[in-house]
Amino acid sequence: MTTTTLTDRYVWATVRNVPQRQRHDLDRELRERIGDRRDAFLEEGVDPADAERRTLLELGDPSALAADYLDRPLQLIGPRYYLTWLRLVKVLLAIVLPFVAAASVLAQLLAGAAVGEVFAATIGVLLSTALHLVFWTTLVFAILERSPDQARGMEWSLANLPQVRDEHRAKRLPDLIASVVFLAIFAGFIVWGQLGVTIDGESFPVLDPDLWTFWIPWFLGLLVLEMAFAGAVYAWGWNWWLAFANLLLNIAFTVPALWLLLSERLFDPEFLAAIGWPWGDAGDVTVTVITVAIVGVTAWDVVDGAVKAYRAGRERAIA
Amino acid sequence: MTPDDATATHLQELRRGTTVLACLLRLRTPDYGYALLESLAGLDLAVDANTLYPLLRRLEKQGLLTSEWNTDETRPRKFYRTSPAGERLAAVLAGDWHRIDEALARLTEGDAP
Repeated sequence: MTTTTLTDRYVWATVRNVPQRQRHDLDRELRERIGDRRDAFLEEGVDPADAERRTLLELGDPSALAADYLDRPLQLIGPRYYLTWLRLVKVLLAIVLPFVAAASVLAQLLAGAAVGEVFAATIGVLLSTALHLVFWTTLVFAILERSPDQARGMEWSLANLPQVRDEHRAKRLPDLIASVVFLAIFAGFIVWGQLGVTIDGESFPVLDPDLWTFWIPWFLGLLVLEMAFAGAVYAWGWNWWLAFANLLLNIAFTVPALWLLLSERLFDPEFLAAIGWPWGDAGDVTVTVITVAIVGVTAWDVVDGAVKAYRAGRERAIA
Repeated sequence: MTPDDATATHLQELRRGTTVLACLLRLRTPDYGYALLESLAGLDLAVDANTLYPLLRRLEKQGLLTSEWNTDETRPRKFYRTSPAGERLAAVLAGDWHRIDEALARLTEGDAP
């Protein structure tokens, strides 16, 4: 068995990084380089073992050396593709994640999961989706970076310039998000409540199941319209047309809801009995409080819309 | 980054292109890596070995140098020689080098418009 020198080990550590057909050549070149350098050290009077060590230390990490010889990139994604990669990852995350979140929430609600479960499952799905998106995109770019026939990156053009941010619209964004989230949760509760709330081992729908024939779809439809309305407010800002539409939407929701409540058709009687809510004689006070609260909230919303429309009109007049 | 580091980086960048030119001119007489390293150092054109060896390979790949293994001695050595394409590139680079030198000289003397 021949003794393996440090040089042999170093050369092997380097050439195993390169394709088979280039190994022989690189092996010879490295041995020439190492030999010449070591001879120079020996001439300076360094002892042989030390000369070898110092030569190899000068050459540095074998993998880095191999990359240097092969002109191979030492970064995962170089400057040529980095910006394209960054843009694509951002766009993908911004487009895909909201859809995945919405789909997950909807699926969990339909399956009758509790709120906590919905939340936990959605977070999990979001994390794994984000991981997959970033990983696979990065992998494709890393391969692109290493392909010898370099395809050109997506060319930057003037069309890529972003629109200057509309400050007014940006200020309305939190309102839009809050409205849509609230409306979605509200709609979710209506549907979830009808799938049955379990009390003492028995399951009851919250609202009277007879309402499915017309009124529940009516309310759900109104919630969708409210979301569209929130989108319109975000896009155009408040104006008198939107304030008027707000009034109509509120009337369309509140009047039937109150009418159903007062004619004792809104809630499922068995559900009310199960939660021990005395309807009939002693319920008058509760019903009155609920009625006043609903009318109050509705009136406040309508007036708020009108005030915002008035203010926006005045701002436009000044500008 | 200390001022000295910055100076070193700028010097390195200034010399980068001239190393290619020096190799192409020097290798009109065939020679191997270590001898080239020594002779450039002797001409006060010191190049780092980790820069020079990969550079020789790259220039060969681009057809600017040709190579031949010399196995006459105990240690086989790869001898590089400037190819005709390398000669042409050297002429272009040298021309540009002189143009830059003259332009910078005018700037240094302060008679630039």
